[in-house]
This record gives sequence, structure tokens and C-alpha cells, in this order.
Amino acid sequence: MHELSLIQSMIEIIREERAKHGMERILRVRVVNGALSGAVSDALAFGWECLTSEGELKGVALEVIDQPLRVACGSCGLEFVPEDNHYMPCPACEEILGHDIISGKELYIEEIEADLSENTGEAAASGSAACPKP
Amino acid sequence: MSKTVTIVRNVLEANERRAATLKDYFDGKKILCLNLMSSPGAGKTSLLERTLVDLKGEFKMAVIEGDLQTDNDARRVAATGAQAVQVNTEGGCHLDSSMIEDAIAVLDMDGLDILFIENVGNLVCPAEFNLGEDHKVSILSVTEGDDKPEKYPLMFHLSSVMLLNKTDLLPYVDFSLEAASAHAKKLNKDIEIFPVACRTQEGLEPWYDWLRKARAGKR
Repeated sequence: MHELSLIQSMIEIIREERAKHGMERILRVRVVNGALSGAVSDALAFGWECLTSEGELKGVALEVIDQPLRVACGSCGLEFVPEDNHYMPCPACEEILGHDIISGKELYIEEIEADLSENTGEAAASGSAACPKP
Repeated sequence: MSKTVTIVRNVLEANERRAATLKDYFDGKKILCLNLMSSPGAGKTSLLERTLVDLKGEFKMAVIEGDLQTDNDARRVAATGAQAVQVNTEGGCHLDSSMIEDAIAVLDMDGLDILFIENVGNLVCPAEFNLGEDHKVSILSVTEGDDKPEKYPLMFHLSSVMLLNKTDLLPYVDFSLEAASAHAKKLNKDIEIFPVACRTQEGLEPWYDWLRKARAGKR
């Protein structure tokens, strides 16, 4: 419901990083979105499209990586990825209660691909290689 | 040549920073701060009304009321004699730390024992935004269905307490206290669960005991 404001926060972080690393032109931004983060990946993509339709980030690809929920069993400690986020019996001991979340709550910018200022001329020419990698 | 720069920065870091500053402030003043979250109509304000009246003699308490519109809830709470300030998010689905900073600027925080933050009614977004609280408290009413902790795992995972409200309506609805508790405990085995009925004032004593213990922990 508030993915637009999440994108706004992301754009602020991207601006700071751009200045810090001397990025001339940003090509791609990769975000990791955990299954329990509360943010919907499609809505993030849509919010990104809306807020970067013009201006300095126009045309920059947003790559959203969905991070599955990963837990450690509350009984035997085995780490596993539940098949669904609702009923999650431990594959080893079948415990269903008290699992610890190892990953799946996060929402962070992992990396930015950009042309850095020391080699601007050449890089700007190779512009259209900005497609997100799988 | 383009270059990939590793960043790894939490998208919500600005809010996290503010929340940490608020937490330090509450700790310094030894104020217990609780973030109350639920669906609209689960009974956050009713629970506060009862709590503020019943524990009036024990604690100095104040409330930050978050709502999309109106100051109805702040007025209900203020009628108990407690300090209350309304924050209208004007459509926003959750409170964030900057709103709490603004709200505490107009409250008299001196000598306060407990600050309740009543979040916007919503089971999704409020859970993502820390407000500097000591504990998150979720309220689920029995008319909503016992599968809600399963459907909205983050909120119940992060809560120290889950109150199951409106137990006076249990004879009329298909709600299993056991099922709701089991769902909540899947990802939060230590969650404290208190069935209550604010309307008939049943079951509130264990909640009050928890508040007393949590408050004592801040001294």
C-alpha cells in the first residue's frame, strides 16, 4: 500500500550513492525484497515506473529479487525454506511452531550498475545494455 | 564501461535511524512505549479506554492516536483524563517515526510512565515501520477469523503480545482461540496471548499484569 513512498526512500539512497561513487549514468538498480517484507514486488515495479518516468533516473531498470522466507526449526534447528508461508512443518522433525526467521523480512538496495565518472565517454555510448540480468 | 557497485542499504533506513533516536529518548526518560496495531475496528481504542481508566491510579499514561482522518479517537481517549494527541495521516496507511517526533513535541513527556501509540488500522504496513517502541502489541478480534496471524505473518511475528478481543462474541462466531494462538506461535513462540473482552471487561487482568511487568523493566 505504501510502495510509492518506499520507492521515494530508494531514490534518496540512490542519489546519495551516486554522489558518493561518482556515478555518471545509472543503468540498473537491484533491490532484494523478502517474502515477509510487506512490500509487493509488482507494486514496487509499478511505483518505480511512475516515479522515474522523467528526470535523472528515466529509463533505469529496476530489478526486484524476491527473497524467499527461510527459517530455522523451533525444535531441531534445521534450516529450511517452507513450501508455503502458512503451514510450515519442519522436514526433519515435523515441528510447526516457534521457527526463527533467517531471511525473508528484508527490503534493501543490493547494488547499482552505473557508468563511473573516470570512464564516461566510452560507457555512455554502450548505453542500451541496461537490461536486467536474471 | 559500466561498473556494478555493491550498496546493501535498507530502504527503510531513514525511518530506522529516527526510530533508534526515539528509542533512546524513551529509554532516557524511562517511558514504556507500546505500538498498538490491528485491523480497523478490532478494538484498539476500546482497549485503551479501559486500560487508561483501570490503571489511572498506577501510571501516568499518554496516547498518540493515528488515524487517516478525524480526531474521534483522540477525543474518546482524552475523555478518560489521559493526555492524547491525534495524528492524521491524510490517507497514509501507517505511522512513521517522523510523525511520532512531531507528536511527542506537543505532549508533556515529563514523569510519563507509559506512552501508547495507536497505529492506523491495518494489518500490513504498520508492522514495517518501527516507531522507537519497546514492544509491538497486536489486537485481533474474534469476528475477524482465527487465520489472520497466518495471513499477516509479519505483524504477529514482531509482536510481543497478541490480545484476542471480543471474546464475549465467541458463542456467535467460528473462531478458535487455539487455532489463532497456534498460527501466531509458528513464527513467534514467545508471544504472550491474552483473550479479553473490552466491552464486558473480562480477561483484562493478565494484560494489566504484563503492562506492570514491562513498565517495571524500564526503571
